Amino acid sequence: MRMQQPLSTDPGPGVAGPDADADALADPAAGAALPAELEVVHETRYVYAAPVSLAHHLGHLQPLDDAHQSLLAFGLVIQPQPGQNSHSLDAMGNAQCHFSLAQPHTALTVRATSRVRLLPRFAGLQPQAAPPWEALAASLRYVGQAAPHLEQEFAMPSPYVPRLKDLKTYAAQSFPAGRPVADGALHLMHRIHADFRYESRSTDIDTPLAQAFAQRRGVCQDFAHLMAGGLRMLGLPARYVSGYLLTHTAGGGPALVGADASHAWVQVWCPGTPGVPADGPGAGWLDLDPTNDMVPGTHHVRLAVGRDFGDVTPLRGVIRGGGRHTLHVGVTTRRVSAAGVLVATVS
Amino acid sequence: MTPAVSLSQSQSQGSLPLDFGLGGASRGDARHLLLHRAHPAEPGVWDELRLAAAAGGGLRPAWQGFAQHLPPPPGGLDRAADLDRRLGQVARQILHDGVTHNVFSDDGAGVASRPWSLELLPLLIEPADWAAIEAGAIQRAGLLQAMLADLYGPQRLLHEGLLPPALLLRHPGWLRPMRGALPPGDMRLFIMAFDIARGPDGRWWVVAQRTQGPSGLGYVLHNRLVISRQFPDAFRELRVQHIASSYRRLLDTVEQVAAGIAGVATPRIVLLTPGPYSETYFEHAYLARYLGLPLVEGGDLTVRGDRLFLKTVEGLEPVHGVLRRLDDDWCDPLELRPDSALGVPGLLQAARAGTVVMANALGSAFLESPAVQGFLPGIARRLGHGPLLLPSLPTWWCGEAAAWQAVRNELDGKFMRSTFPHAGRTSQVHDLPRSSLLAAIDDDPDSWTAQGKLRFSRAPIWGATGVSQRPAMVRIYAIADTGGRWHVLPGGMTRVAQREDSSVSMQRGGSSLDTWVLTEGAVDTFSMLPQRLQVDDIVARRRPVSSRTGENLFWLGRYTERTEQMVQLARSTLLLIDADSDATPQMLQAVSELAVASGLAPAGVPTLTRSPHHFERAVMAALADAHGSRGAASIAFNLAALSRASQALRERLSSEHWSLIRTMAEAFSSALDVPPGELPTLPQVLPALDRVALHLAAVTGAQTDRMTRDHGWRLLTVGRLLERLLGLSSRLEAFIDADALGSVAGMDLLLELFDSVITFRARYQRHEDLLALTDLLVLDSSNPRSLAGVLRRLRTELSKLPGSAETLAPLMAQLPADGAGLSLESMRGLDDAQLRLQLRELAARLAALAAKLADEVAGRFFTLAEGLDQRV
Repeated sequence: MRMQQPLSTDPGPGVAGPDADADALADPAAGAALPAELEVVHETRYVYAAPVSLAHHLGHLQPLDDAHQSLLAFGLVIQPQPGQNSHSLDAMGNAQCHFSLAQPHTALTVRATSRVRLLPRFAGLQPQAAPPWEALAASLRYVGQAAPHLEQEFAMPSPYVPRLKDLKTYAAQSFPAGRPVADGALHLMHRIHADFRYESRSTDIDTPLAQAFAQRRGVCQDFAHLMAGGLRMLGLPARYVSGYLLTHTAGGGPALVGADASHAWVQVWCPGTPGVPADGPGAGWLDLDPTNDMVPGTHHVRLAVGRDFGDVTPLRGVIRGGGRHTLHVGVTTRRVSAAGVLVATVS
Repeated sequence: MTPAVSLSQSQSQGSLPLDFGLGGASRGDARHLLLHRAHPAEPGVWDELRLAAAAGGGLRPAWQGFAQHLPPPPGGLDRAADLDRRLGQVARQILHDGVTHNVFSDDGAGVASRPWSLELLPLLIEPADWAAIEAGAIQRAGLLQAMLADLYGPQRLLHEGLLPPALLLRHPGWLRPMRGALPPGDMRLFIMAFDIARGPDGRWWVVAQRTQGPSGLGYVLHNRLVISRQFPDAFRELRVQHIASSYRRLLDTVEQVAAGIAGVATPRIVLLTPGPYSETYFEHAYLARYLGLPLVEGGDLTVRGDRLFLKTVEGLEPVHGVLRRLDDDWCDPLELRPDSALGVPGLLQAARAGTVVMANALGSAFLESPAVQGFLPGIARRLGHGPLLLPSLPTWWCGEAAAWQAVRNELDGKFMRSTFPHAGRTSQVHDLPRSSLLAAIDDDPDSWTAQGKLRFSRAPIWGATGVSQRPAMVRIYAIADTGGRWHVLPGGMTRVAQREDSSVSMQRGGSSLDTWVLTEGAVDTFSMLPQRLQVDDIVARRRPVSSRTGENLFWLGRYTERTEQMVQLARSTLLLIDADSDATPQMLQAVSELAVASGLAPAGVPTLTRSPHHFERAVMAALADAHGSRGAASIAFNLAALSRASQALRERLSSEHWSLIRTMAEAFSSALDVPPGELPTLPQVLPALDRVALHLAAVTGAQTDRMTRDHGWRLLTVGRLLERLLGLSSRLEAFIDADALGSVAGMDLLLELFDSVITFRARYQRHEDLLALTDLLVLDSSNPRSLAGVLRRLRTELSKLPGSAETLAPLMAQLPADGAGLSLESMRGLDDAQLRLQLRELAARLAALAAKLADEVAGRFFTLAEGLDQRV
């Protein structure tokens, strides 16, 4: 039997190169494998040139609450006060809020404050012990009257992640015959991290995936979409995760990129892989952060999971009037512990 | 494994009635005409008109009956000529009623409005055939309703592998936000349509099913109206089933479910259309009129909190039910297609909250995929609906490896269709070369579905060469009642291909047929006209006036009046130039200014006093310019604006009113049609102006006498009166400014422009006196064309606009309390110069007031319709 690898998070950018295997993901940041308590303040502010007479907004701003991430507190402050405000679970099990304002306003501020306790995940991950990728893909194909794995929903193309033949060719290089799913996925993550350049504002949410792929650069949403798209083209389920990242390490180490607003990464479905939860809502899903080339641990806060950005956009709206508008998003993530508060602020 | 292949359907032959031969048809007999003008359908297809050759080749019984009851041709015409004449009548009726459908160009960039194409002969469906169709449609409708309930609920069909997950989860029509939402009354589908066709063995097959907002109900109704009139005897004697009660049922069901959530007996239902550019906009307006529902676009509705409202001139009014012709994905830009400008932000939230009945509910589009057809037999068994009575075309979804392997070497005789919507269409038929097709399917088999080709039966068409035979497909409609039972509209829309060998599509130039379902029982003679309403019904049924409709009516009033004034001014101006009249330079100056101010002549043109020739040419050139491209907004321009406003009001205006406006614009432009580079001549223009004046009189007559006095009419009238106030005071002002009232001719001209010559003559004979003129044109409120007369009516109508006396007070306060704000007494002792000064001051004040009031009316009643949505 293979020895358990102390896999963990926060290596900082560039620690793992394109050819690094999982072993290279040693943990440079002390404490990341320990439970952590984080507080996140996520503020979105719209300023409009002309009064908005009616606004409808939909938000995915409340973190998930499950075995590895306990939601200790959550508060949502909206100014001006919305006339209607409701909370519900969406079809994927994420918390969502829907609010509307019918009084004229020229600015809107939405501040979500979350406090979560994170437990280490994927400790003892054995990517090599996962089932071969072809077997998993084959098990998702439809055969009449057999109970299907509904995870196959995430192997299908979605609005932001269409089918791209080039992406299939690209991803296939990480999946030679018989390679375990998790192992291949880690390999693909390393390659994307090495081949693509992270560049703020190099794309926006309307940039087609094919363009991000062709120009070999993008932001964290693109990294996540590209990796999900590659996996899906091979018939493997991959989810998009919207969340936050603790950007400064305890030692004041280098900031991790991609956290100036909110962050995004992927989950690949590799059931039966040692180290990946076998039950609960996250059963079988392994988180991978291609922007930072790492397996998320206790510095990644999960807000919501979906097929792509469109399913779990943190906040969006349709307004009447308003003219030109400016948008400012600030996220502050800090670690809260008994020993005091280590603060890292990015906005 | 589940057979994705529905070939296991029972293939039993329907038994054919064999006992009808030629029936002794002789030459000159109508049966002979139908029979011998028609080639028998080619072998291997079902002939709707004739029996098989083996059975004698005679007319089918229904057609024998039809032939017997053909109306006798009028004297001097033979039967064939009579049918030709009737075909012409049908085409004219369609043009007259403005029945159109919009056709998109191949690149999707353009949209053109075409007259609806309707054939003379109906399709006849015999009672036994109909009974089978009806039973099959009822069963299928119930099945689809049950599937939706399962898939938006426990999803047993997915978990048990009866429906492949990809057909649901990959389909853009599967709306995740609606998962788990319970619709009011547990009703998701209220109406659905099935396209059916008859195969060579006489059995009917389902080619496609439509669940989102099936089109055609309006055309079905109009087709029936036109064709039953052509053959009244046959229609009665063949006992053709009437269709009106099906429309009533649809409305009743939606109303009853909506009443449950509204808590009132008469909930507010609206018909939601994508708007005038939609393919079938004609029938949206037609149905809205027929059902008595407000026709609304997304922008007319708004969600506040989690409730849906209609923006009306009286404020927001709750809406409890939406009969929907807008496809799912366009309905809510917040949660569905973000680029949709046709929807209502927040509509999904209202639907989830169960505060509004969506008919149909959002989220059924995946049922329209051809691939689903292949799995219906297994699903029907599982849900206890038994074997399908009306089978689907044989279908193989390639996402199931076994099915794809089964058909990959046998693609001849099959269509390859896209499983998922493609380029805006529910499913696209592909005709790639075989090798690239195979590669494309292997690459992504889930996206492909093979369907067996069916040779459609041939229906008889009357045309230039007599009877010919065309492939036919019938769209039938199933409508739910509140008890969850389904009823099939006894009729439908039959469509035929353009040529004998092409496929059936209205977009590709096909044509439609009225569909006669014969019965052996009694005919249901229900009419949509309600029998007897209670007082509460009548109060509640007052149709609200949406802000957009109100605004369009306001402008309809303004444009009608403005055009009338322009026609009058154009006439006077042109006659003034032409006649060797005693026109003074002052008059010419006044008229020049008015012509430029009103748009008859472009700004900057040399005035009549400087260069009559230039001026005349400029006026002539602008008259027929509908686009205002010459810097003037003349008569054709205003007629076009009038047409646009009336186009947006089709469901409210009588069809005569609407077609009058359209005809008026067309007649004017064709009367003034000249070769490029030339100008119309005066002998051409004057009669054209006279005709427009007559048309306009008819239009205003229709507006005055034939419209209900609701808030919409009142806004139209206020629009007209404000425009008149503006026009008349501007005329008075211009005449005084140019000092044009110093001559008898000048006074005569002003009287003419106030349309008050006859009254003046009757009252003052030929005393051309400024005080007398003032009395008649300004002070006399019994003259509908005097300023005081216009103001008197404005006071009356403004005070009846929506809102309380207090809220209307600021509007009312701006009007002079009485008369025109000037009294005869106050003029005692004034000389003409002083009088002119007073008049000028009054005219300027009233012109400014009219413009200000028009803005304030818009600000008060139409602002809800303003503004654009953007996503952030």
